[in-house]
Amino acid sequence: MSNNKVSRRQFLSYTLTGVGGFMAAGMLMPMVRFAVDPVLQKKEGGDFVLTEKKIADITDVPERVDFTFEQVDAWYKSDITNAAWVYKEGDKIIALSPVCKHLGCTVNWEGDPAHKNQFFCPCHAGRYEKNGSNVPKTPPLGPLDQYEVRENDGFLEIGKAIPNTLV
Amino acid sequence: MHWNGKDSKVFQAQKEFIDTAVIPLIQIDGSDEGFQFAASAADFTLSLANVIENQFKGRIVLFPSFSYTRSQDKQSVFEAWQEELNNASFKHVFYVTSDREWSTIGEEQNIIWTPSVPLDSMDQKMRNSVLEDQLRQLIPIFAKKWAN
Repeated sequence: MSNNKVSRRQFLSYTLTGVGGFMAAGMLMPMVRFAVDPVLQKKEGGDFVLTEKKIADITDVPERVDFTFEQVDAWYKSDITNAAWVYKEGDKIIALSPVCKHLGCTVNWEGDPAHKNQFFCPCHAGRYEKNGSNVPKTPPLGPLDQYEVRENDGFLEIGKAIPNTLV
Repeated sequence: MHWNGKDSKVFQAQKEFIDTAVIPLIQIDGSDEGFQFAASAADFTLSLANVIENQFKGRIVLFPSFSYTRSQDKQSVFEAWQEELNNASFKHVFYVTSDREWSTIGEEQNIIWTPSVPLDSMDQKMRNSVLEDQLRQLIPIFAKKWAN
């Protein structure tokens, strides 16, 4: 039994190692947590927003569809209403962002009587084809963004904006 | 563009494209009978100004509203604003208001006077559609001014 006796020196070194280990862990854990933070971050913006637009009502003429979601800005929550230009291309539903690629104005479908079948930005006369591609020699330098879309129980759902895939 | 640090940098860099200032004019009325009406009109004017900003983001700078009382001299206020905005080399200036008196001052086309619609009792959707309707009527006014 005398073998199992713990000497004063051993006892002290065990406790010191134990306490030291806890302290080191206490310091290292937050650092590790910081390092992997981007992985643990909850994904935002990937959610789809339900609109009041019936899939069956969408035609091949672009139509403005509003959708509202909640935005949290620090402690201030607000409802943001965004719009999309939605139309059918065959069976596929296309939703384009109305934000002009030039300086961020809102574009309108056939907003200029002189240019039928095009999106028109009233600010600097930027124009886009129906698929969102910018008309050369007008100010915009890129095509309109596209929204991810899906169907939910007959209604349209709009997701996050992605670069135009039609052009 | 809004009148803030971030947007003003864009403005300074893109002056050839952003050439229009929009200023909401808000009347403050302290009297018992006018208080609520003035507040409601302010709500409408500011909401409308924000819708205009959203539509024409890339060509206008929306300034913070100018609030005044009835006794202030509109003519001198108007001239002071014009002078300062000329300094910033804005080519076009629009004032948005629901106070009729402004329409007698300055060039008619600079003042966008819209009768105030009481938005208080409307839900968000209704508000948006009212404001969208107003905006649709304003687009040609802006387009016409810009075309000259």
